[in-house]
Amino acid sequence: MDMSENNKFGMEKSNGDGMPPEWQFSNPAMSLVPANTCIAAGLATPLTSSPYLPAPMVDALAAGHWNHNLRGECNILSTTTAISSTPIGKPITMSSRGMILSTAPGIFPTSLPHFPADSAFIERAARFSCFGGGNFSGMNLFAPSQSMAPSHRDGMGVQDLKTEFHMTENKVGLLNGSPVKNEIDKRISHIVIANSESHDANLTEDGQEGNTDSTDAAGNSSPSDLAVNKRRKIIQDVATDQADRGLKETTKENAESKQKVEQNTSRNTGKNGKDSTEAAKEGYVHVRARRGQATNSHSLAERVRREKISERMKYLQELVPGCSKVTGKAVMLDEIINYVQSLQRQVEFLSMKLAAVNPQLDFSIEGLLAKNILHGGSSSAIVLSQEMIYPQAYPPHQGLMHTGISAMANSSDTFRRAMNTQLPTSEYKESSLQMHNPWNDQLLNHMTYGANPPANAQ
Amino acid sequence: MESKSLSRDCNNPNPDPKMAFHFLRALLHIQQSAATTSFTGRRRRIKRAAYASMAYSSGARRAWSRALIHTLRRRRQRQQRARTAVALPRRIRVARPPRREVAAADQAQVLRKLVPGGTGMEYCMLLEETADYIRCLATQVQLMRNVVDSVTNS
Repeated sequence: MDMSENNKFGMEKSNGDGMPPEWQFSNPAMSLVPANTCIAAGLATPLTSSPYLPAPMVDALAAGHWNHNLRGECNILSTTTAISSTPIGKPITMSSRGMILSTAPGIFPTSLPHFPADSAFIERAARFSCFGGGNFSGMNLFAPSQSMAPSHRDGMGVQDLKTEFHMTENKVGLLNGSPVKNEIDKRISHIVIANSESHDANLTEDGQEGNTDSTDAAGNSSPSDLAVNKRRKIIQDVATDQADRGLKETTKENAESKQKVEQNTSRNTGKNGKDSTEAAKEGYVHVRARRGQATNSHSLAERVRREKISERMKYLQELVPGCSKVTGKAVMLDEIINYVQSLQRQVEFLSMKLAAVNPQLDFSIEGLLAKNILHGGSSSAIVLSQEMIYPQAYPPHQGLMHTGISAMANSSDTFRRAMNTQLPTSEYKESSLQMHNPWNDQLLNHMTYGANPPANAQ
Repeated sequence: MESKSLSRDCNNPNPDPKMAFHFLRALLHIQQSAATTSFTGRRRRIKRAAYASMAYSSGARRAWSRALIHTLRRRRQRQQRARTAVALPRRIRVARPPRREVAAADQAQVLRKLVPGGTGMEYCMLLEETADYIRCLATQVQLMRNVVDSVTNS
């Protein structure tokens, strides 16, 4: 599991296949240490500094609907693509951009020599922009960038590339916000162009993905999701920690990160990480923080819940007539309440009407049944009536009728009860059933269908 | 709309045949056995039949239908018990706690009161159940209108 955990950090695929030789898994801890420090530093910078970086980042990233209110802690994690962990290849580019911010200001005492030429790096970045879970074979950079792994696994490929890029460019000075940001912006511009298309697609799909992911939760709990979530959690924690406590904490985290990565991640993510990994294993809803949004586990869950609620509200809007133009939950709720009340009042009013006209129901009940069923227009309705008529096949004896009724496989409890209550009036029923003779032809056609209970079991 | 798309029982355009069947049978029963029942009594029974057919059409799949069936059965039991009970115990009957005037400022609370079984639901579930309840209610109203129209026209 260590290897797989390490894989998560550096690789798109969490499975052990894609271990590029360049990655130095022999020293996962070592590689991760700089990563954590980097991330911490990187996270710290955007966090501590004002929206200086985020603004240009946002512009550069051309993220149309991205939140421009990049709160400190949200920045980095939000950039981690609003993915709902389903398809790996999708949203990464966004996250990669975001991660650049976070990862850029890293202190990489080691592994800098691994950094390839810029052009090669950009090529790779472009290549990774269409992440279909491609392996990281080309990511030579990643020995050090692995350390930054704890960001999203998917996006991490590009992110790591970019962070590496930045790191090599600005080694120590990255800790400061402004110089780093400038450099980062420049760097990002390249990648932005490369990833712009994919980003748009990703952005638009985010909401849907969120929903689909929630639905596909069970099915998508692949190791990639696990890794993604874990990374997300790790990033989250790192980001939140830094946001909350500043650099000191990050250094502490870095110190912690020097220990085993898993422990680190588990400790950092703490409640969140374990929950997420367990949740991922169990196929829970996978949610990623969108850009500009809080990445606290609580807020993420809240966001999922809010999305669910908004989805249901939209459905209710369709259901309630005349509510398409209404916006806002409060007004919508008022409309819904009014509609429910009006429907209930209508039921009462109609029942009063029916009670008033009841005496005339004697002879027309069957006709009513026919009419209503024809209104419904489904063949299953005819089959239902067939149940009534079925006893007709037998000689019109009461006993046979009972047996016929009892033999009906379809009998629901209410049906049986009703039929039992109707038994005293079976003769009336028989006579009424005679009226359905013209339907017999149709019923014969539906015989086989009728054999199976058309109505759902209660 | 994962769950909602699955519920096909109460469709607005197509009255559920199960619901229609149950309701009409209940109507027939009421009409036959209520020759001497008062208008109010008949109305109440018809109303109960309407809600019962609504609940049965959704069966045990929906929380609101389960709650509705439960409420109806409890009411029916209470009625039967009241009929057979002696008049004396009424004085000793435990006084119900005074109903506190709950400010219905919270719309969710109001909705919870309207939708059967809504008090025990969280908000998300409440909205889902409300949607299904509205669908079934609309279907039932449509069904009853058809019945009334056919009765008055024929």
